[in-house]
Amino acid sequence: MRIRYSPLAQQFADVDIVFDELRDLIKSGDFTLGKPVQEFEQLFGTTVGVKHAVGVGSGTDAIKIPMRAMEIGPGDEVITAANTFYATVGAINEVGAKIVLVDCDDNFCIDVDKIEQAITSHTKAIIPVHLTGDAAEMPTIMKIAGRHKLRVIEDGCQSLMGDYNGKRVGTWGDAAAFSMHPLKIINVWGDAGIIVTNDDEINRRVRLLRNHGLRNRDEMEIFGYNSRLDSTQAVVGKWILRQIYSIVEGRQAAAAYYDQGFRDIPGVRIPLRRPATKQVFLLYILFVENRDALLRYCLEHGIEAKVHYPIPLHLQDALKPLGYTVGAFPVTERHCQETISLPVDQHLSRAEQDYVIETVRQFYNGKCS
Amino acid sequence: MTDFKVPFVDLQQRFVEEGEELLACVERVLAKGHLVMTQEVSEFEQQVVEYTGAKYCVSCGNGTDGLMLALWALGVGKGDEVVTTPISFVASTGAIVHVGATPIYADVRADQNIDPAEIEKKITPRTKAILPVHWGGRIADMDAIMDIAKRHKLLVIEDSAQSMGAYYHGKHGGTFGGAGAISAHPLKNLNALGDGGMLLTNDEEVARKVRLYRNHGLQDRDTCVMYGVNSRLDVLNAEVLKFRLTRLDSVLSRRRRNVSIYQDKIRAKQVYIPPVRPHEQHAYVMFIVQAENRDMLKAHLEKCGVQTLVYYGTPLHLHPAAQRLGFRRGDLPVAEQQADRVLALPHHQHLTPERITFVANAVNEFYGA
Repeated sequence: MRIRYSPLAQQFADVDIVFDELRDLIKSGDFTLGKPVQEFEQLFGTTVGVKHAVGVGSGTDAIKIPMRAMEIGPGDEVITAANTFYATVGAINEVGAKIVLVDCDDNFCIDVDKIEQAITSHTKAIIPVHLTGDAAEMPTIMKIAGRHKLRVIEDGCQSLMGDYNGKRVGTWGDAAAFSMHPLKIINVWGDAGIIVTNDDEINRRVRLLRNHGLRNRDEMEIFGYNSRLDSTQAVVGKWILRQIYSIVEGRQAAAAYYDQGFRDIPGVRIPLRRPATKQVFLLYILFVENRDALLRYCLEHGIEAKVHYPIPLHLQDALKPLGYTVGAFPVTERHCQETISLPVDQHLSRAEQDYVIETVRQFYNGKCS
Repeated sequence: MTDFKVPFVDLQQRFVEEGEELLACVERVLAKGHLVMTQEVSEFEQQVVEYTGAKYCVSCGNGTDGLMLALWALGVGKGDEVVTTPISFVASTGAIVHVGATPIYADVRADQNIDPAEIEKKITPRTKAILPVHWGGRIADMDAIMDIAKRHKLLVIEDSAQSMGAYYHGKHGGTFGGAGAISAHPLKNLNALGDGGMLLTNDEEVARKVRLYRNHGLQDRDTCVMYGVNSRLDVLNAEVLKFRLTRLDSVLSRRRRNVSIYQDKIRAKQVYIPPVRPHEQHAYVMFIVQAENRDMLKAHLEKCGVQTLVYYGTPLHLHPAAQRLGFRRGDLPVAEQQADRVLALPHHQHLTPERITFVANAVNEFYGA
């Protein structure tokens, strides 16, 4: 049996509806910030429950542009989680600010008890990352931000529709970033991202920044970027966003089924499922013993398992100038050794999941016990 | 939009000509099942190498990003001055500002491209690079510019956004200096279904750095060797561009034929059409004339059912965003005068000789010629 990581093939199986709309778009020629983009933004804002949603070129840009809108730049410090994807720190570097990493907890989100000791007089913002589809502890983060007068930009790229205490990811901070990369919860057929905010001025400025700073065709108010959500991708995005509730429920059901199956396997530990959060499971991660051998065993048995991420961010060449060494973020470093990501999505069948569970059980019962 | 007898672009006709083939491109990509940085992207890059004669082509998210990537890879940044033209789209200046350098404007010639004699006057000890723009599809005077660059040891980065298919002494735009950036925006000669761009260079090290930088600085999935951005050409667009590149020469020859009809039919002495020199092969992304009493001519043409556009009514140094650069009205007289006179007439590969004659007659009629 082969258990693939990416569910795109299933998505591509039935595309007639979206092709009709693509044909209309190509006829209209409305390719740049056209009507489908406005429609997608509106639907996205309503779905998440925010006032403004602004489509941009990628999830990375969706982190970078709000920082520019808040005039965060050289001389400023921005705090983020040590176990995030490269894009979060890349975006901070792009605006010229200093990256300050804080270790995570066993839910893969920033450890709120360690944030305050990282704050200096130069700190301007916190970027909590809602990794794996879980949610960072936003009530505490907002309190810390309030106390120190810091901006909060949520990196929600992996956690669309997740929530904390019933309040959605993306609705807590000054702004939030979501990605629609092909492997995300809501995807398009290429790169795209979206910024959400309830703040009118941030909305105004990110709209300028994504389109060359142009107030209208002839007046450039500020120096901006070219980072637009393509109309073509917005057509695809609208179609998939309409399915959001069934996608999220499908992922949650698959994760619950896994949880049940892995519960009694020795060598496997399921991360704590906190009552406060509603997880959307972009990733299904387990803590496991003898991880590298299990990863190999899964791959040999046709299961496309992965590790998010095998090399800790602070030990990557790019971050060397920050001076972090081995031992700087022990929880993150331990996760790099102990975690495995298994295929999870709305299309995965129970039979496929049974195969994954049994393969893992076999590994610990047979080979390694 | 009102129905024009002669619209600025003819999207209906374009759809008839290639709409179904574009949808077939999308279907081909979906059938393969992968949407980020696939073989289609590298195949397209290789085809651009063959077409332009550049040693390397690295695709990216859009033409603006291409310029930023070029400036960054060649080491232009904080404290550097870049001599550039005031006649361009705002992105040319935006890219310079975003890498932290300062744009210094040099005035243009009658053909709207940067004047090499003016470049020399603007060179200071802080000057690091010259950024000429091949405006409208005509290559700037690159022999003179390369000579200045050599004498003053400056880098040259070509804004070739509009110069796909444009040559100067048989050499393709974007291949003269350290790097050049081409746009595949929907209104360009080689156009995507949304935003796309390519960087050309003959420098292996520039190509290597940009390949890393456009994709989060990732050497492979797990190794981040430098901070990067997300600026990737969508696979769907790579497939569309591969298809359209096979037709580019036909698009160019139809565009050149149409311009020659315009030149023949427009008799009014009040309309200046910068002549094409024997060593120039103009790509005619736009057909821009310089007309006396421009605004009234535009209104007259509109009444006749002819849609025209002003590219652009404000030279770059007079935008609100550029105020802090310290240029004032009067500093760049040729560009300022042109901004009051330029008018882009309907011009695309689907325009018929009858319609061109109709437009030309309307122009002649306005001046009583």
